[in-house]
Amino acid sequence: MRYKKLISIAGAVLLVLSASLTGLAQSSADLRINEILVYNDSNYVDDFGKHSPWIEIFNSAYNSVDIGGLYLTDDLSNPTKYPIAKGQSMTRIPKRSYLVFWADNQPTHGILHLNFTLEPGKTIALFDANGRTLIDSLTIPLNIARDVSYGRMDDGSEVWANLSKTTPNSDNNTEPKASSGDMFAQYDPTGIGMAMIAMGVVFSGLAALFFFFKMTSRVLKLDVKKQLSARSVSKARAGKAETADSGKEGLEITGEINAAIAMTLHLYSSELHDAENTVLTINKVSRTYSPWSSKIYGLRKLPK
Amino acid sequence: MEHSGSFFGFVLEHLEKFLSFTAFANLTAGHLIMIVIGLIFIYLAIAKEYEPMLLVPIGFGILVGNIAFSPGYQIGVYESGSVLNYLYFGVLQGVYPPLIFLGIGAMTDFSALISNPKLILIGAAAQLGIFGAYAIALALGFSPAESGAIAIIGGADGPTAIFLSSKLAPDLMGAIAISAYSYMALVPVIQPPIMRLLTNKKERLIRMKPPRAVSKTEKIVFPISGLLLTTFLVPSGLPLLGMLFFGNLLKESTVTKRLADTAKGPLIDIVTILIGLTVGASTQATTFLTPKSVGIFILGALSFIIATTGGVLFVKFFNLFLKEGNKINPLIGNSGVSAVPDSARVSQVVGLEYDKTNYLLMHAMGPNVAGVIGSAVAAGILLSFLA
Repeated sequence: MRYKKLISIAGAVLLVLSASLTGLAQSSADLRINEILVYNDSNYVDDFGKHSPWIEIFNSAYNSVDIGGLYLTDDLSNPTKYPIAKGQSMTRIPKRSYLVFWADNQPTHGILHLNFTLEPGKTIALFDANGRTLIDSLTIPLNIARDVSYGRMDDGSEVWANLSKTTPNSDNNTEPKASSGDMFAQYDPTGIGMAMIAMGVVFSGLAALFFFFKMTSRVLKLDVKKQLSARSVSKARAGKAETADSGKEGLEITGEINAAIAMTLHLYSSELHDAENTVLTINKVSRTYSPWSSKIYGLRKLPK
Repeated sequence: MEHSGSFFGFVLEHLEKFLSFTAFANLTAGHLIMIVIGLIFIYLAIAKEYEPMLLVPIGFGILVGNIAFSPGYQIGVYESGSVLNYLYFGVLQGVYPPLIFLGIGAMTDFSALISNPKLILIGAAAQLGIFGAYAIALALGFSPAESGAIAIIGGADGPTAIFLSSKLAPDLMGAIAISAYSYMALVPVIQPPIMRLLTNKKERLIRMKPPRAVSKTEKIVFPISGLLLTTFLVPSGLPLLGMLFFGNLLKESTVTKRLADTAKGPLIDIVTILIGLTVGASTQATTFLTPKSVGIFILGALSFIIATTGGVLFVKFFNLFLKEGNKINPLIGNSGVSAVPDSARVSQVVGLEYDKTNYLLMHAMGPNVAGVIGSAVAAGILLSFLA
């Protein structure tokens, strides 16, 4: 009993651990430094009309994430260098969307203006609200080009490069993309491929269920056999006149036999009653007066 | 008195304006056609008892959706902010189908399937209708996403069809839903000729072993293992399969009777009313009566025919590998089409035509409920491939 409890607790812990390790967090851990522009000569301008360096943060999750309360820094020894304002509507990044911070060392210009600038060779980082957990970081390459942004080839991917177009607040990959359906139409115009793959998957899913229940029923049958044989042995020991075949007989009880037994019992119990009188009498029911239904009680009394 | 002339002018002007708002002024031939279709649905439901739970709300919804109102007054189902639009939200966002699946799970007894697991495979074979219709829809010029949404009609599962079309082709959802429910109601008409055509007399007389008794443990294990085995393979089917198996666990655990009663009673009734009425109302003539809708109806019929054929032929093929005495009556092959319990009932009726003592209903319920799982899995595959 104790072991059973221990095993179930261990199983539950393992399940939770594996879920937390493999599952997608859908939280601040999904934020990524996605694109930067170090030398902004004639590119994107801020609200003050200035060309300043910027950092684009991408929310790779499929729900909105609030970046408020997290920290941006260009100094790993000082993770809390720039605390991002909390409780602001603009810090909530919608799913698969972006937020651009201006690295202009002008924090008085607004909550999206950082207190540091971008320089080649420096490491910029995003830290969680506890100021210790590193969410993402990037060491800016030394030979970074002017007016060309450096970013992930695809949003959230691991491959970084100089991007052919600067894309603040939009997808880094500007190549025209075909939808999954269009790809299918291109490579499988007749739908035969889809039919084969999909039928294969449907069959494998249901075949898995089939094998599982085939095995389960065997295991359960084994248990029944054990139980019945154990019962017959105990009865034999008790001196009852049981034959060795009683276990086998028990196993052969089918649903039909059970139904027949149930029907017999039902018929037997029905016969215990006297024959019912089948004469139907219809009595007229007259509605008698009741003060509860009298209208007079629903009326207001006249004032005296 | 000096203003009396302008007053009457004012009244006349507003009377004229009022008349321009009435349905008589806005009526088109399309609205009339749709109203007639709605009336036919209501007639079939009440007089012929074809799927009345679905066809009465849908038929009445068609009437509601085709009262020709003047647009811009937040009345119609497609007008943002209208009451009908709010109710339609549950269809558009795929909220209602999983709730219906919860109720289906809570009212379905999977014993037939558990006692004879090989019947599960028939439920898989009948999904051929979906992918056959997909190929034909592509050939007719529908886009892949539209083809996927139309093809799911072959799964014979209204909520699944609505769920998938809301994701893949929301514009076609009305036509797809109406088509799916219409053909589900017509299962007793469509399936028997195909079943007779594909089987011989000897096959129709096959007697199957009575199903064994299923223990409570097996019934409890089924929804849990079913969920894990199917959704690990097709996670995109989670909203439907998750709710289906959850509902079944509520039923089989026997410790959550109140929850199971709610799921299979008031909850599914409320959602059925809402889904039926709003899907019906979504068939406004202006958006519904298009050549695409006609194509969808033809494809729907074809998908049902292919699905039934797939199920029956698969049983015949499967029988080649089964020993004498263990063979399956191919008349239950049609019930892999997941119109529960209509297609199983068709198996029973056709079976009794050839042998008055051969009751196939219990056996047919196995592939029937497997078809529900199979069509939800197929919807998940289409969603993950085409979305």
